[in-house]
Amino acid sequence: MIYLDNAATTRPLQEAVEAAEIFLTERYFNPSALYGGGVAVQKEIAAAREEILSRIADAGHFSLIFTSGGTEADNQAIFCGGKRGNVVTTAGEHAAVYQSCLALKNRGVEPRFAPLRPDGSVDEEALLRLVDEKTSLVSVVHVNNETGAVNDIFRLARQVKEKNPRCLFHSDGVQAFGKISVRLTEEIDLYSVSAHKIGGVKGTGALIFRKNLALSPYLYGGGQEGNLRSGTENVFGIAAFGAAARVRFGSLRETGEQILRLRELLFDALDPALYTRLSPREGSPFLLSVSAAGLRGEVLQRLLEGEGVIVGTGSACSSKHPFSRVIQACGYRNDILQGVLRVSFSPDTTQEEAKAAAERMNEAASRLKEKTGK
Amino acid sequence: MKERVIIIRYAEIHLKGKNRGYFERLFSVNLEQSLRGIRHELHRMSGRYLVAEFDEAETDEICNRVSRVFGVHSYSRGLCVGNSLDEIFAAAERIAPNSGSFKVETHRGEKRYPLTSMQISAEIGGRLMEAFPSLRVDVHAPEHVVYLDIRENGKALVFGSFEPGPGGMPVGTSGRGVLLVSGGIDSPVAGYMMAKRGMTVEPLHFHSYPYTNEGAKEKVVSLCRVLSRYTSVDRLTTINVAQIQEEIHKKCAAELNVTLLRRFMFCLAQRYALEIGGQCLLTGESLGQVASQTIEGIASSNAVVSLPVLRPLIGFDKDEIIAVSRQIGTYEISVLPYEDCCTVFLPEHPAIKPKLSFIEEEEGKLDKEALLESAWESRETIAL
Repeated sequence: MIYLDNAATTRPLQEAVEAAEIFLTERYFNPSALYGGGVAVQKEIAAAREEILSRIADAGHFSLIFTSGGTEADNQAIFCGGKRGNVVTTAGEHAAVYQSCLALKNRGVEPRFAPLRPDGSVDEEALLRLVDEKTSLVSVVHVNNETGAVNDIFRLARQVKEKNPRCLFHSDGVQAFGKISVRLTEEIDLYSVSAHKIGGVKGTGALIFRKNLALSPYLYGGGQEGNLRSGTENVFGIAAFGAAARVRFGSLRETGEQILRLRELLFDALDPALYTRLSPREGSPFLLSVSAAGLRGEVLQRLLEGEGVIVGTGSACSSKHPFSRVIQACGYRNDILQGVLRVSFSPDTTQEEAKAAAERMNEAASRLKEKTGK
Repeated sequence: MKERVIIIRYAEIHLKGKNRGYFERLFSVNLEQSLRGIRHELHRMSGRYLVAEFDEAETDEICNRVSRVFGVHSYSRGLCVGNSLDEIFAAAERIAPNSGSFKVETHRGEKRYPLTSMQISAEIGGRLMEAFPSLRVDVHAPEHVVYLDIRENGKALVFGSFEPGPGGMPVGTSGRGVLLVSGGIDSPVAGYMMAKRGMTVEPLHFHSYPYTNEGAKEKVVSLCRVLSRYTSVDRLTTINVAQIQEEIHKKCAAELNVTLLRRFMFCLAQRYALEIGGQCLLTGESLGQVASQTIEGIASSNAVVSLPVLRPLIGFDKDEIIAVSRQIGTYEISVLPYEDCCTVFLPEHPAIKPKLSFIEEEEGKLDKEALLESAWESRETIAL
């Protein structure tokens, strides 16, 4: 099987599974317990916290709390940061941010959505126009999870704060963390990350936030994670997250260059008569969205699965929600929208796999075109 | 014997004259099957069945299952005790309310019993009023009724209410039909209605992988699982018609896509029916509901099969179908967003009144036998 849906989830790294295993077998203690076993586990959590945080931020200025995943981190940022006035975000957000912002309406906070450019990045000027003195939070995805377009969140955060210094800035960094080089600056108040997109396991993520930010809890209870995220810690997942971060960040630059070559190799091998590129060249190397115009992405996906190639899709054979909301917001025509495939890489993807995948994508699309065309 | 019992009365079986034994046998087999996995005994008692010797904690589950067995007219949770007045009163005391208006109603199957029905009611009613001073008698519109049923075998049944069963006939007494089941609302309801009239309903699903997804198939499996609670049929057969759709799409007039596909489906369904001893096809069609369910559409599908096609929903409005579907528990599954038929092959304007001559002319462009054969070979059976 050639697995190219790594933006959805990745195969857990061996190192991550090994680091985690002992917490399922011998060291199962509750980290809040006051006896030796519990204290020792708490230390391991602290070590993982340090490991993950130090990779992208100065631990003197930022804190990190573990959550159940990127979605929870996004929800905490939106609901605890966007408490009044309006919240400005983009049409290209992951559903965790997009739906949370829509839900703010019920709490009397007005969500505002900035439009996208064709490559999936946010129209910066339009976004800034939406920010006013009543804006309490701006949330902009760092790497668009469908096209791979990278938003310059640092510049945007600066500009937002020039306009409204009291406004908080959040970014969903799930597709950036451990994949592209990131160093959080003081303009970024909140940043969400996830473990299973970089070789950790599902069920673990983190919210990173500026130290003197008065963040409120989203889950109440036993007061874990500095009283900001109650619930017994997912020690197994956290240990795996720490180990995965260590591996991925250890070779971030080399991996980035290697994957960029893979992505272009795969794209160049695609038949231009069948596939149109949606992803920007300067975007995250880990993602390549293409469209087989006029064909159904979901059907192609299943044909490819039959040939041993797993890719993602931006469409479904559903009459109710036929297209990807994000790609639609990029402004494409319906025949492009329905044929979207998302190919996403991991550092384990090989050149041979990329080539073979492109060949099978060509075959599948031409076969489908022949069968369903008149 | 534990006193706690569930009393089951059956519906139309008593109409069946000399065939009554056959109907009763199937009815008790179906009851036993529905209670599979629960420790119990099933007893026959002139015109009734008793479920006995079960754990009290299982009472609700047993009632749930009994309430889905076709042929059950009504059932009651009650007590089965000896027929002396003292034993009857002890049971009645457990069943009776402790306040409000009530009456005692006695049915006396044992005609040699020393007291008449009226006398038994009066005696037990009197003792109950002594036991519960806040009770008062109201024989015309009581809030509660304590039912006494004096049987011939020295036993008496005591219970407080009748709960309605689904009615109908025991499944298996009215032949075997193949149900064309999609992921929609209608076909499970059609299957339910035929099972209610005693038919063994064998579901058959057409999919078009890779144009439809596994989710759509899983949805049909879930629907058939719910249906199987009523029908006891524990298999679903699927056939892939993707290739047929491709060929129709490529060679025939677009407006006939659905009409032609349905003719293929009917041919395959008939072949399946004949293979498993089925005597008819069942569909969830309702007249005029969609383009293929016009009388012309129905005629064109019927033209390719010789078995009868039963359409129990033909005169139903959508609202009426939905109501049954909610009642039998398939609605929530039917409205899940997986489509059973990929929009890729759907024509913008399907023919509403296709002419048979035109249909046959278009169908003539296809290698019908080869397509049917290859679809037939794709069939799979899924255990429910």
